[in-house]
Amino acid sequence: MANITVLNSETHRDLGVKTDPSAKYGDAVRFVSVVVSEFGFLTLHYPLFFSKDANTGTFYCGAMLGFDDGENLFLGTDAVADAYRPLNLQRGPFYAAGTELAVDLDHPRLTKSGGQGLFNESGAPTSYLENIMATMRELTAGAAATNAFIDVLMTAKLIEPIELDIAFDDGTRRDVVGLYTISQDTLAALPDQMIVELFRRGHLKLIYLMIASLKQVNVLAQRKNRALLDAR
Amino acid sequence: MVNGVQPIKNIVIVGGGTAGWLTAGIIAARHQGRLKSGFTVTLVESPTINIIGVGEGTWPTMRTTLAKIGVSETEFFRHCDVAFKQGAKFAKWTTGAPDDAYYHPLMMPQGFTQMNLAPHWLSAQHGRTFCDAVSPQGALCEDGLAPKTIATPEYDALANYAYHLDAGKFAPFLQKHCTEKLGVRHVLADVIAVNQTESGDIKSLLTREVGEVDGDLFVDCTGFSSLLLGKTLGVGFKDCSDVLFCDTALAVQVDYDREDAPIASHTISTAQSAGWIWDIGLPTRRGVGHVYSSHHISEDQAHDELMRYVGNGHQRNTVRKIPIRSGHRELFWKRNCVAVGLAAGFLEPLEASAIVLVELSAKLIAEQMPANREVMDIIAARFNETTRYRWGRIIDFLKLHYILTKRTDTAFWRDNLAPASIPDRLKNLLKLWKYQSPWFFDEFDRLEEVFPAASYQYVLYGMGFRTEVEPDENALSALHATRLLSENVTLTRKMRAQLPKNRDLIGKIRDYGLQPI
Repeated sequence: MANITVLNSETHRDLGVKTDPSAKYGDAVRFVSVVVSEFGFLTLHYPLFFSKDANTGTFYCGAMLGFDDGENLFLGTDAVADAYRPLNLQRGPFYAAGTELAVDLDHPRLTKSGGQGLFNESGAPTSYLENIMATMRELTAGAAATNAFIDVLMTAKLIEPIELDIAFDDGTRRDVVGLYTISQDTLAALPDQMIVELFRRGHLKLIYLMIASLKQVNVLAQRKNRALLDAR
Repeated sequence: MVNGVQPIKNIVIVGGGTAGWLTAGIIAARHQGRLKSGFTVTLVESPTINIIGVGEGTWPTMRTTLAKIGVSETEFFRHCDVAFKQGAKFAKWTTGAPDDAYYHPLMMPQGFTQMNLAPHWLSAQHGRTFCDAVSPQGALCEDGLAPKTIATPEYDALANYAYHLDAGKFAPFLQKHCTEKLGVRHVLADVIAVNQTESGDIKSLLTREVGEVDGDLFVDCTGFSSLLLGKTLGVGFKDCSDVLFCDTALAVQVDYDREDAPIASHTISTAQSAGWIWDIGLPTRRGVGHVYSSHHISEDQAHDELMRYVGNGHQRNTVRKIPIRSGHRELFWKRNCVAVGLAAGFLEPLEASAIVLVELSAKLIAEQMPANREVMDIIAARFNETTRYRWGRIIDFLKLHYILTKRTDTAFWRDNLAPASIPDRLKNLLKLWKYQSPWFFDEFDRLEEVFPAASYQYVLYGMGFRTEVEPDENALSALHATRLLSENVTLTRKMRAQLPKNRDLIGKIRDYGLQPI
């Protein structure tokens, strides 16, 4: 259970955060929510899709990290040391509480000794915490921009379901459902004026980044193949 | 007019109830492309006559109908007090004992298109009801679960479903959609006379408020009064109260005892001494009504039975009495006039056949829209043939519920077994079904059959009917059947774990909406 409280330099002065990517710190997720401002970095490593929030059914954007539940193929021995980490993994135990920063005191990344400190001797935020605050600002602004992007796509009927049915070298298959992508047929049939509008709003670039990121599915499948071989 | 051929371009629908607006929407949506070249759909509604509005149960067909006319399912839920319906539970119909109940779900039996599981179920001794053996839906209803999740797109289903709705809200909702999105003209006026041509066709309606309304094809949706087809064109009424005895309904709306009370995701139909009580759960209230035979009990007795059923439930309104004249017009389309809805006929709402018949009729009119007056009679003959067949099958299917009973406690149930009250066709089928169960290659293989063979299976075997099964006949398909039956066990377990409560999902649809994809 999360134990979320607003961060304060008195009570949380001695708190430290372990920042390395690891399954034991809650990074073992197959799909992580992302915002449009990080699309440029994300497409270097991850396939980007839309999916539906299980609780509300509304669409969100996410990066695919693995094929099975709780599988993040970017952890462990096959990890890419300098791979861009999605903001929602970078933020670790922190949450936005209005304009303030909150922290989940039960988060496995928190430690009483060692790790990245949050406040210096005089109670001012460390550069690590400054970074976290910038991350949270980008996530908050990014969520609004991402929702606006999704609304435009929905109105133009540019989102369509995609089913990934992939055969791995060990003979097993994964049928991944519940993912959505850009409908390239609908895109190709859009009137010129709408294309210009999408371009001016910066949405056309995002659309093509998402389409390009589909190529990462094969790369991710290769990663999975190696993981399956390693497990033997 | 080309070569003296009179094109059909102006469709006039009379009556602003569920039938009228559904018909208007279905025709207008199908012929959207022609609206700019002079095709018109006009609905004339009396500002003084109230709609009947007790039709609160639909068939799964309504999902396709609404999607086709361009209604968002989310908006439909938000505006018409809609809940999911996954079938009907019939209580006390077989023996009248307190635990006597069976389901007629909306999902087909597992693998229904590949093989008939009924003979395998009949010869096995596993103690599971037919419904539970072949479909997860009875269990889903018992658990009060919704047929989908908030992530399932609009009109898609995980378990097949229809709707319960507030008919008083549905007609205005459709009106708004038809007039704002589909270009249907809405004329609020009382019809005071119907003008006919020399040949006898309907030429125009004379209204008090706007004078004459001309048309090429008139759709009579005037309810029980059947103003155009019955009164003007003199088409007779075929009474079927000799088969179906119920002739009166007492309806009342009942509050839930608390705001978060579960909403049943099926219609509950509980047999009484001389009829049955419907119980339909909407998000804000229940609709409860007693359908009974006034030849068997008095209104006071019927009222007492209804009150006993409602118990401590708080009533929102006074009990309304609705006469039921079971039967239908001898013709449904005569000259340039076709009747849809109550104007065409009415039967007790035991299997929610009223609204589905409206959809099927309107769809047939829209799809077969005659190009001109010359060919209209050909279409009319077809329409009459199909529609008469449908009414006949519905009457048979309703009667089936009454003749499988083992109840002998009242004259009503005993009288229902009188051979003279059972249509010949149904008698023959029952004879046949003693030796083979209804499936494909049976006679229920028409396109858009109202009740498919699966429905007959659910009712027959739900009510304890036995078909003799030759064990050797099962031998070849036994393996396949075992697999399908075990697939159903798995599916049932999976769905029970996955699906939300009916009320919870309806609340989420209100708050977040369903996605169109």
